Amino acid sequence: MARFDDSRPEMSAEEFRLLRDHVYSHCGILVHEDMKFVMERRLWPRLEALGVSDFSVYHRYLRYDANRHAELEAAVESLTTHETYFFREPSQLKAFREELLPLLEKRNARTKRLRLWSAGCSSGEEAYTLAMLLKDERRFEDWDVEVYGSDISRRVLSMARSAEYGPSALRATSADLLERFFVPAGKAKVRVRDDVRSMVSFGHHNLLDEAGSQLVMKMDAVFCRNVMIYFDQSARRRVLRILRDRLVPGGYLLLGHSENLLNLGADFELVHLRGDLVYRRPELTGGEAR
Amino acid sequence: MSHLPVFPAEEERYRSLQELDPRGGGSLDVLVAGLHDESWRVRHAAAEGLQRLSSPTDVALRLVDVLGERGETGARNAAAEALVGLGLAALGPLVKLLGHPDPDQRKFAADILGQLGLHAAEAPLVQALEDPDLNVRVAVSEALGRVGSEHGARALERLLNDAEPLLRLSALEGLVLLRRPPPLPVVVSLLDDTRLRRSAFRALGLIPQVAATELLCQGLESSTRSVREAALAALGMQASLVESARRGELEAVIHAALRRLPDAVARLAQALESEDVTVRAGALLAVAALGEASLAVPVAEAAREDRLLRDVLSTLGRLGAEGGRTLLAGMSDLSAPARAAAAEALVDLVDETSVTPLCALLEWAEDDLRGVVVRALGRTRSPEAASPLVDLLRDSATAGAATRALGVLAGSCRGAVLAALEEAVARRATPVAVAALGRVGGAPALPSLRKLARDVDPRWRAAAVEVAGEVDGGVGRELARAALADEAAPVRAAGARAMGRLGGSEAGALLRSALQDEESSVRRAAVDAVGESGATDRVAELEPLVRHPDGALAVAAVRALSRLGRVGARVLREASNHPDAEVVKAVLSAGAVSREGVALAESLLEHPHWDVRAAAARVLGESGGPESLGPTRRALEAESDALARQALADAVARLSRR
Repeated sequence: MARFDDSRPEMSAEEFRLLRDHVYSHCGILVHEDMKFVMERRLWPRLEALGVSDFSVYHRYLRYDANRHAELEAAVESLTTHETYFFREPSQLKAFREELLPLLEKRNARTKRLRLWSAGCSSGEEAYTLAMLLKDERRFEDWDVEVYGSDISRRVLSMARSAEYGPSALRATSADLLERFFVPAGKAKVRVRDDVRSMVSFGHHNLLDEAGSQLVMKMDAVFCRNVMIYFDQSARRRVLRILRDRLVPGGYLLLGHSENLLNLGADFELVHLRGDLVYRRPELTGGEAR
Repeated sequence: MSHLPVFPAEEERYRSLQELDPRGGGSLDVLVAGLHDESWRVRHAAAEGLQRLSSPTDVALRLVDVLGERGETGARNAAAEALVGLGLAALGPLVKLLGHPDPDQRKFAADILGQLGLHAAEAPLVQALEDPDLNVRVAVSEALGRVGSEHGARALERLLNDAEPLLRLSALEGLVLLRRPPPLPVVVSLLDDTRLRRSAFRALGLIPQVAATELLCQGLESSTRSVREAALAALGMQASLVESARRGELEAVIHAALRRLPDAVARLAQALESEDVTVRAGALLAVAALGEASLAVPVAEAAREDRLLRDVLSTLGRLGAEGGRTLLAGMSDLSAPARAAAAEALVDLVDETSVTPLCALLEWAEDDLRGVVVRALGRTRSPEAASPLVDLLRDSATAGAATRALGVLAGSCRGAVLAALEEAVARRATPVAVAALGRVGGAPALPSLRKLARDVDPRWRAAAVEVAGEVDGGVGRELARAALADEAAPVRAAGARAMGRLGGSEAGALLRSALQDEESSVRRAAVDAVGESGATDRVAELEPLVRHPDGALAVAAVRALSRLGRVGARVLREASNHPDAEVVKAVLSAGAVSREGVALAESLLEHPHWDVRAAAARVLGESGGPESLGPTRRALEAESDALARQALADAVARLSRR
C-alpha cells in the first residue's frame, strides 16, 4: 500500500516574492513582506485542491496552466479572506439608513432612482443587506432602486447569485430579519427571498480596471468596506479615482470602520454624520464639466 | 508674489492646485499660498504639489519660512507635511533650523527630522540634546528614537540619569524604538518610577533573559490594567526574540506566575480583546503557557489580525483535544479569519469524537475551509470518517484533499476506507475514487483497475491507467501502452504520465507519438515523461522545444533534458535567450554544474528579472571557480533588489572560500 503524507510544503522567500508579484500585477493587491507565513497558510488549500506539490509548481501553474485565470482568482480570494456577513458594522448601517438615505431621498426626489454599489462584495452579504435596508424603508417603495455588487472573483460571484448562506453569514442577523428576508434552503442553509434578490445585480469587476469601470453605472453611494486594506498606496489612489468617477457629484463613499483616506489625496470631502464618518464626492462647480 | 485666484468654491481651488503645472512660472508662490487656504483639502493639495516641483532645495527653504509663521497652524502643519515628503532635500534646512533662536522652531525641526527618518540627521540631533529648552530636548530624543543607531542610543542612555522625568521617559522610549535596551540593572532601577514603568516594561521585553521575564510576570499581577497590558506586550516581544530552545523556560516562568493569579483567565480574555496588537500577542503567549482550553475561541479570534496568525496557531495547538472541542462547538460564531485559523488548528486537535461536528461544519463551510476540515477528518482515526470522505471525492474542490485524507485515515482503519471506496466505485460515484482505491487497496484492486481501464467513460479509463502503475509495474505498463493509443486526449495524457513513472527500455519508443500529439496537454505530459523515464532516445525531439513560444512547454523540455543529462551548449544558449524568465531560470538550474553553465550564469548577472539574477548567483555560488568572484562581487555592488543581493552575497561568500 502507498504511504500517505499530508504534510505541507514551506514557501521560500523567492517563491513568496514571485507569487506576491504575480498577484500584485494581476489586481494591485499587495501582500506585505512580513506576511509570508500568512500567504503560505492561505494558499495551502489551493495547492491541496490542485494536488500541487510545492509553491514553485503552483507559481508555474498560475503562469502556464489553461485554468490559470480561474486559479489566480481563487488565489486572490484566499489571500483576501475578509469578513463578510449580513448586517455587518451595524452602527454604520444605522447611520446610512437614518442619515444618508433621507438625504438621498431628497436629492433624487425628481428621478425617484437610487443606485448603490457594493464594491468588493465577496459572496454578496453586503449587497443583500443594503437591499434589505432599502426594502425596510417604505419611502423607496415606488422607486427605481438597484444595488450592484461587484467582485474580482467569479467564484464568489456565483455564490452571491445563488444567495444561499450558512449560519456564519447570519450571526448578526436577528430572528425577525431572518424571518422576513430569508427562506430555508436545505440543511443548515437559508436563501435570500426573491423580492430582495430582484433588487440586486452582480458583475465581475477588478477595482483597478479603469476601462471596465465604465460599465458600472453612476452611483449614489458606494460601499467599499475592508477592501482598500489589501492595496498599496498607489493602487488605493487608482481605486479611489475610479470610485470617485463612478459616483454622482455629491455621492457618498463608505469605507470600513478601520479605514480612512489619510495620505491618499483629498478627492473626497469628509462628512461628519451623527453616527459615522463618511466621504463625499464634492458637488460640481462652475469650472468642472457636468 | 502671485496669489491663488479667489474662487468661490473650495472644489475649484482644490482642482486648480491639482492641475497646476509644476514647471510653470510662479507655481512655488501659488502652492505656498495654497498652504494657507482655509480648507484642509486645498492645503493638502498644495503640500502634495510642492513635492512635485523641480527645485526641492528652494522649496524646502520656503517651507521652513512657513514653519515660522506663528498663528498659522494649518499652514505650518501643511508645510511640515510637505517637508517630510521632500526627503533628503529638507535635511539641510531643517538641521539649520535646529539652531534657530526660537525654541518653538527648533522643536518643529526636531519633530520633522524624526518623521523624515534619515540616519544622516543622527549627529546633529545628538548635538541638539544639549539644547537649553526642555521641550526641544524631549522632541530631539523622540526623533533620535526614529533615526538613531549606536551613537544616538549611547546619547539617549546618558539621559536616563537626567533630573527631568519627561526627558528620562522620552529617552527610554527612544531606546525602545531603536530596539537597543539599556542593561538590565538600569531598567530595573527605572521600574520604581511609576511614570517610567510602562516604558521600562517595553525595554524589558527587548532583553531575552529569564530575570527579565520574572520581572515582567510581576507586572502581570498588577491591579492596573495598563501595567498588566504593558507587561503582556513585553512578554510577547521577548518570546519573539528568544531562541526556540529557550522558549519553554520562558513559558514555565509565565505559567507559574499565572497560576498564582486567581483571575488569570478573565484577565487574559480581556487582554485578547485589547486594541493593541502587541498586548494580544503577549496574551496569546500567556494562554499557551497556561494551556487554558476555555480561551480557544478568543484565541482564534485574535487571527483577525493577520500578523498574529502564527501565534494563534501555535497557541491553539497547545490547547489539546478539549480546545479542539471548544472550537468545533463555536465555529459558526467565529469570524472568517478565526474560522480559518481554528480549522487549521483542528487538524492537530481532532480525535474520534470529532467526526460528527466536522461533518456538520462541512454542510456550510466555505470551500477553502472545507479543504482543511477534510484534512482534519483524515486525522480523526475513526472508521466513521471513511464514508463522508469518500462522498467528498465527488466535489472537485475537495477531491484532492479527500484522497489524501483517505490515505491518512487508512493508516488507522484500512478496512473501513477500502470498503467505502469499493462501494463508491461500484456505484460509479466518481473517477477520483479509483485513484484512492488503487493507492489504498494495492494489488487486490488490480482486477477492478483492469476493468475500469476499458470503461466507456474516458474519465474512468484515465483514472485507472494513472493509478495502476503505482500498484503493479507490469500491469501499469500494459495499461499505459494501450492508453497512449486511446482516442481521448485525457487518457493519452494519463498514459504518458504513467509511462514516465514506470520507465523501461521501451518508454522512449512508446512516447514518440505522444510527443507529436495534436493536443498540447498530451505533448507536455509526454515531454515530462521522457525526462522522468530516462528515454535518451528522444533527445532530438526535445531539443527544439526549448525555443518553443509556449513557456510551459519550453520549461518542460529544459527540465526533461536536464534529467537526461543532455543539456549541451546549444540548449543552454537557446533557452537562455527565451523571453520567458521561467525558461531562463530552468536552463540555469539545468546547466548549473557545467563550465558552460557557469559562463551562462555570469552572463545573466545583469538580466532584467531579479529572479534570474538570483538564480545566476546561486549557480555561481554552487559551481563557479575563483574567476567568478570578480563578476559576482561587481554584480553585488550594483544590485538593488534585496533577494538578488542576498543570493549574490551568499555566492560571494562561497566563492571567497574557494
